Amino acid sequence: VILAVAQDTGGEAAAGKFYDGAKVSFPALIDTQHVVSSLYHMVNVPMGVWIDEQGRIVRPPEVAYSRKVQFLTIKVDGDRYAAGLRDWVEKGDKSRYVLQPSALKEKLGPRKAAEDLADANFKLGVYFHQQGNKELAKKYWQEAQRLNPDSWNYHRQDWSFTPAEAMTKWMAKFKALGGKEYYPPLEIP
Amino acid sequence: MRQLILCLVPTLWLIPAGVRAQTKPATVLLADRAMKVDDARVEAGDLWVTPEALAKINRGEIKPEGVCIGELCIPVTPKDGLLRQEGDKKYVCLTKLATKLKQSVAQDAEQNVWSFGPIPAIEKSNQQLLLAPDFALPDRQGKPVRLADYRGKKVLLLTWASW
Repeated sequence: VILAVAQDTGGEAAAGKFYDGAKVSFPALIDTQHVVSSLYHMVNVPMGVWIDEQGRIVRPPEVAYSRKVQFLTIKVDGDRYAAGLRDWVEKGDKSRYVLQPSALKEKLGPRKAAEDLADANFKLGVYFHQQGNKELAKKYWQEAQRLNPDSWNYHRQDWSFTPAEAMTKWMAKFKALGGKEYYPPLEIP
Repeated sequence: MRQLILCLVPTLWLIPAGVRAQTKPATVLLADRAMKVDDARVEAGDLWVTPEALAKINRGEIKPEGVCIGELCIPVTPKDGLLRQEGDKKYVCLTKLATKLKQSVAQDAEQNVWSFGPIPAIEKSNQQLLLAPDFALPDRQGKPVRLADYRGKKVLLLTWASW
């Protein structure tokens, strides 16, 4: 089963029309607090995690497109990801795309205290946003961004509420990456 | 004999000499929840709540050996100053507990909103077992859906965003 989770503080109003447009047949959830990104240490979208019948992770969070994506210097072999996914659905634990526990543990590794503090600040911002207090929302979202500058989610969620400037801000941050990858490279055989 | 045993059990509840804390409704944010805590107390940058509120916030429970959150129990000594009694009311210090758990806290003092990050020890134990952390989130009709509802099936957990 695909469990789709929209990382959208704007809730149904923001995410609903995309679910409608895609006519999704799988469970479509809305995550205003970015709970899943927090639990699974995700800093961008779209990200996928493979979870087996026993509730165990068999592939860690990684960029999850279903087809090839090329945009500016961003390149993702989404078709290979989709092929791997189909292989796992068919073969289960015997799929060569299933990672060994030792490799997985290494990838899931602990996160830094600054990331946890960023998380607490981001949620504080979401709370104030939902209370209609834009000023305090901004204050804590900026603190979250300062503490975890690698999180595109914290930045882009914030920018989404000032859509006129969002693209310019994204482009500036993207350029500031220099040669660094926008998505960690997909390590799929 | 009974009395002797009682004497040997040290009390973890500190009775403060002077009461300086003020009662003030607080909001506690944890994971996907925002909880109002009516009889919270704030003192010197610390947040104190009743054991009943602790149970509501994170299924926390005070046992003779310390504070337990679900299966995770951490020993507490009187020196920690985590628990205290004022008259017939008991309080637990959520922020001192967070420090002991290495849990991050962000707060807005004016609005009295306290946001707690994940508990690293719980996260670590999940990772050791490769367990996918569970969550409950609403679907589009507002019905809560848990990851654990899908045990017995393969799940592709997929995040995306409208922005």
